[in-house]
Amino acid sequence: MITKEVYKKNVKSIGFLVMVLSPLIVIAFIAGLTYYFSQEEQAAPDVPIAVISEEEGIDQLFSNEQWSFEVSDNIDTEEAAEEALLDESIGGYITAEVVEGTVQAEFVHTNELSDQSSLIQEALTNYQSMLRADQLDLAPEEVMALSEPAMLDQRFVNVDEGTVTEEAFSDRMVQQGGAYFVSIAIMIFIMTYAGIIAEEVANEKGTRIMEIILSSASATNHFFGKLTGVMLVLLTQIVIYAVVGFGAYIYFRDSEMVQEVIGGIDLAAVFQELMGYTIIFFIVGVLMYVVLAAFFGSLATKMEDVNKAVTPIVFMALTGFYVGMFAFTAPDNLFVSVFSYIPLFTPFVMPFRIAADTVSTLGVWLSIAGTVVFAVLISGISLAFYRSNVLIYSDTNLLGTIRRSWNIMQSNRKAIRNRA
Amino acid sequence: MLEVKDLTKTFGSLTAVDDLNFTIKPGEIMGLIGQNGAGKTTTFRIILNLLTPDKGHVHWNERYLTTKTFNKIGYLPEERGLYPKVSVENQLLYFAQLRGKKKSEIKPLIDHWLEKFEVKGKKTDKVKTLSKGNQQKVQLISTLIHQPELIILDEPFSGLDPVNAELLEDGIREAQANGASIIFSSHNMNNVEELCNSLIMLKNGRPVLNGTVKDIRQQFGRTKLFLESELTPEELRQFPGVQRVEKTNDGIDVAYLTETEDGKAIFDAATKNGYIPTFSQQPPTLEEIFKRLAGEKNE
Repeated sequence: MITKEVYKKNVKSIGFLVMVLSPLIVIAFIAGLTYYFSQEEQAAPDVPIAVISEEEGIDQLFSNEQWSFEVSDNIDTEEAAEEALLDESIGGYITAEVVEGTVQAEFVHTNELSDQSSLIQEALTNYQSMLRADQLDLAPEEVMALSEPAMLDQRFVNVDEGTVTEEAFSDRMVQQGGAYFVSIAIMIFIMTYAGIIAEEVANEKGTRIMEIILSSASATNHFFGKLTGVMLVLLTQIVIYAVVGFGAYIYFRDSEMVQEVIGGIDLAAVFQELMGYTIIFFIVGVLMYVVLAAFFGSLATKMEDVNKAVTPIVFMALTGFYVGMFAFTAPDNLFVSVFSYIPLFTPFVMPFRIAADTVSTLGVWLSIAGTVVFAVLISGISLAFYRSNVLIYSDTNLLGTIRRSWNIMQSNRKAIRNRA
Repeated sequence: MLEVKDLTKTFGSLTAVDDLNFTIKPGEIMGLIGQNGAGKTTTFRIILNLLTPDKGHVHWNERYLTTKTFNKIGYLPEERGLYPKVSVENQLLYFAQLRGKKKSEIKPLIDHWLEKFEVKGKKTDKVKTLSKGNQQKVQLISTLIHQPELIILDEPFSGLDPVNAELLEDGIREAQANGASIIFSSHNMNNVEELCNSLIMLKNGRPVLNGTVKDIRQQFGRTKLFLESELTPEELRQFPGVQRVEKTNDGIDVAYLTETEDGKAIFDAATKNGYIPTFSQQPPTLEEIFKRLAGEKNE
């Protein structure tokens, strides 16, 4: 009953629609922009430059197809080039000469051509190598032999409990990407749903609806009813995303751009990764924080105090999130290892350690067990306090409220014991 | 029948309710009065099982209250609250469902109740669009619509204008006629005098008054004398037992006596020349009793 009401109220609200749609709109907007700019880039006309050089070879060097600029043939003095630059008919010019086998060049350019300078340098270097090879009388094969890069074969291995296993580099990318994704998803969902449930609870308490409800249903029913309701809302949101995501994939999978982005990624591997530990961390993490939020929400006296009451949760989650980000770069750090076993931070930190393989399977399960036990524990404690929290309307700070709630709880306990 | 016996509740060193006893039979209304912090809300919370008493018990029809009996309770908390964004109809349905009623049972009743309490607005309106008075009425309807057998109203009259207060009184009387046991707290002694069969006054958790309104007033004696005669206030003051004399706006002297018997000598003196328009010896009003008891220091 309570579950249904919470669910209905939240899913029907405009806020929910906005919440669900806004990320989709943002993604669509970014995708649209990206698409637009990539089209724009392809269509962009080549910026001409001028090449001023006595060397035939250098002139030829820049006139072939590979460059994204065109060389205007009719400029052959520096003065003419400067003039052309002034009236913006060219984007830059190169002056080059060869002095004793060394190519000395200058590239004067506008901002548009900044990204070309390293390519130009490379081309000129190659040209210089060719010149010197000529001087040394080297055969083309010998030049090839000289400039051949060393062989570097990468093999990515994993050291896990004494065995070395090989894995593809992309696996690790997928895992880290998954960890990153989960970290952000947990963060977003915690922030949203902790807010929702804290508001629900504080609202009912502030308006004394709570007293009516608790005089018709037990605190336990109410507490878990609320939790279930909010979790169902969350599930609805995820299902909507899954459906939209799947639909979008089916619709766009043949598009060139999407192929380019996801071509290198094994979607099945990503999916498997998400379905593994990560989903456990996601579920336990969100549950844990939502329970805490209900607890802190029940400490607030009025709606206006909700933000103040959930501040500790926000800080906790932020800490976890940042340690997670830190773990992304330094998964071996001792600090990171310690944090990955603290239940409130585990969901943020552990996925990165798993991705980086700095934790044993036993360690992962230990942390999961710890987190689950902790979640059950705080649910129990929150529920115990919840019953008396909702009866306290004081303007003291959070600790004061907790202390008074504790007194009421003790007084009730003692009374029940005496009665028995 | 609600039976509260030897009820005591302490929070640390504070005794919130101290040895409280009363019963409310079906069709009876009891008023619970007392200053803020006297223990009224705590009493209600114990009855509602939100708090566990240290001593004593609350019985409903000779049993402890359980989740099942909760469905027979209508409770109006002191500070009113409804879900602001939910429609009047859905709100009423939700609360009734919480009390174990089916939607189909309550739905046909809503129009009737809204009409009875003269709620201005449609049942599809969101609660926040209603005026405060109308919201209060909606809340009251949610307290009564499921035909509760035990009705607990915490300050139901606060903030109501006289017209709406009368609607509320009618509502309470109707529930009484249907055989409900009703308990309510109020700061307005007029409501208490008009409605209650019995009343309890709490002071620091302790009942200092307990009984029917008439008995309680009588037990303080007819110590308030309204007099219209040739006696001057100065002369009145000379009589033994007269504590002070006041003059009302319409020229009637009011003498406050120590005991009922003190009135006899005044009557004789005032009527020695025959007819006088007013001689009326009354017990103190509930309000006066309330103020007197509330002002007294603890012994």
